[in-house]
Amino acid sequence: MTINSQLRTPPRSRPTKKLYWLQWLLDVATVLAWGALLLQYWLTGKINVLLHPDYVWLAYSAGFFLVALGAVMIGQRGWQMASRVRKTRSLPRPSLPPHLALFPPGWSSALLLLVALFGLQFTPKPFASQVALDRGVTETLTLTRSQPQAFRASVSPESRSLIDWIRTLNVYPEPDAYTGQKVNVKGFVIHIPDLPENYFVIARFIITCCAADAYPVGLPVKLPSGTRSDYAPDQWLQLEGEMITETVGGKRQLVIQASQLQEISVPENPYDS
Amino acid sequence: MTQLNNALTLFFSLLVEAMPFLLLGVLFSSTLLLFVDERKLVASVPRNPLLAAFAGSLIGFLFPVCECGNVPVARRLIVQGAPASMSIGFLLAAPTVNPIVFWATWTAFRDQPEIVFLRVGMSLLVATIIGWVFSTQADLRPLMQPSVARAMLVRTAESESAPVDSPLLRSGTYFIGQSKQPLQLESDPLQAATLVANPTLSKPIPERLWMLVENIVQELRELGGVLIIGTAIAALVQVSVPREVILSLGQGPITSIVAMMVLACIVSICSTVDSFFALSFAATFTSGSLLAFLVFGPMIDLKNFALMWSVFRGRAIIYIFVLAAQLIFLLTLLINLYVS
Repeated sequence: MTINSQLRTPPRSRPTKKLYWLQWLLDVATVLAWGALLLQYWLTGKINVLLHPDYVWLAYSAGFFLVALGAVMIGQRGWQMASRVRKTRSLPRPSLPPHLALFPPGWSSALLLLVALFGLQFTPKPFASQVALDRGVTETLTLTRSQPQAFRASVSPESRSLIDWIRTLNVYPEPDAYTGQKVNVKGFVIHIPDLPENYFVIARFIITCCAADAYPVGLPVKLPSGTRSDYAPDQWLQLEGEMITETVGGKRQLVIQASQLQEISVPENPYDS
Repeated sequence: MTQLNNALTLFFSLLVEAMPFLLLGVLFSSTLLLFVDERKLVASVPRNPLLAAFAGSLIGFLFPVCECGNVPVARRLIVQGAPASMSIGFLLAAPTVNPIVFWATWTAFRDQPEIVFLRVGMSLLVATIIGWVFSTQADLRPLMQPSVARAMLVRTAESESAPVDSPLLRSGTYFIGQSKQPLQLESDPLQAATLVANPTLSKPIPERLWMLVENIVQELRELGGVLIIGTAIAALVQVSVPREVILSLGQGPITSIVAMMVLACIVSICSTVDSFFALSFAATFTSGSLLAFLVFGPMIDLKNFALMWSVFRGRAIIYIFVLAAQLIFLLTLLINLYVS
């Protein structure tokens, strides 16, 4: 039959070979750079700013996998070249069934590589008050959002975190029920223009998966003295005080009457879940 | 400056979360491509078109591939004589109804489990219905690209005249096995033979492992590029579009669905990772619209058009597009109006 002769392709020309090498180098670099990026984020703890703690293992497993993949690619090529030098029969370079690519060859790898290289330099910052204002701080969990998963009524008030308070309030919203209870929470400061000068909101972000779904929750704080300008937005505070009920911004709600405010550094894991 | 940093943080958080799932999808689809012979599946399809469409929709559980991996598989199914209902069902449902996508969606939406189950249920329903509709077309060839239709002819002729292991059927790529040139699918009628069998199955195991690595890298490269562009769009929209605009668009029961369906079509993000993309809109968009994105995107998007073009003629693609868009719009509107 003539099939064989019809489908035999002409020998590869030099430029194609060069391109093939270039693509290979780009691929190896991309795979290794992404592996390095994922591992670097994990080792430096930057990953805590990006992901929910439950999913960190996925990211570093992928990092290890990519580094291994890069090593295999280099090994494969090395072996192929070695066998060519020894003039032994090497495995024929496989030809895969064609892929229908969206990008011209090389573009995609170049894009991936650039993003990875940039990522290696980049330090993600945890979201702060600007995002909170953009996304709208709530004292209730939005309707579509998490239902309380662990409701611990027996926990003593002063050991509740800010999120625990919000969850508790969500289940039983009457502010008077909490009046006089001791508060000891951590969070960052948000200045809300609608509130009087001696109030700010102490807030935290909750994430369920990654920073993309982080949403802020917070409670208003009444300062013992001075105005909120003493506390810069985004400053993290350890805040002690007790709960009072007040009408703030035209709404009767639970407010933290602060007695002690201590500046703290941004926690290693800035989001709560 | 803060805005830029927020956008970048968002961008990398989506990428870092999506990358493991993309890898997993690529790993599975590459392994399946090189080690599984789907001809055995075709032999065991039920005769009833509705059942066949449903069975086809469920095959995704055996072939966990996203939409980029399933078009070639669907093409081979069609050429091997699988009924239209089964092939179309598979084509539309497999990217969503599979364990990896289920896990990824669960990771993203574990607070709203209804989204996860409705996504799978709706994809099954829509794919089965469209598969069923297509089963009324007894001869699929007028809807196929000429090369695929010819391969179907070859197949028919083969099955009538020769035993299954005819050299043309079995050999697949062996003529081009040594070729370094990309194989052009549409040009040569004889090359259509390569569509018939999974061309790599005739190779020895070590060579297949070799190809496994190459295929992983190739898919990773292509899908990764799309992932990056999709993620960049998601991050930009979140940070730069004013909240009022997004809210007014995202809270309307109809506008939100239309917006998310258009977005799904443009962004073309891979189904293993699209739930993370949708997640960034979860706070502002209605549940129905998120579902529309998650069900419609894997079935039809810009990237998919190019892939489907390698199998179907334009007319068939338009039928699939219109049917899917209408069904999904109606279903998600019902969710918006009566459920959430």
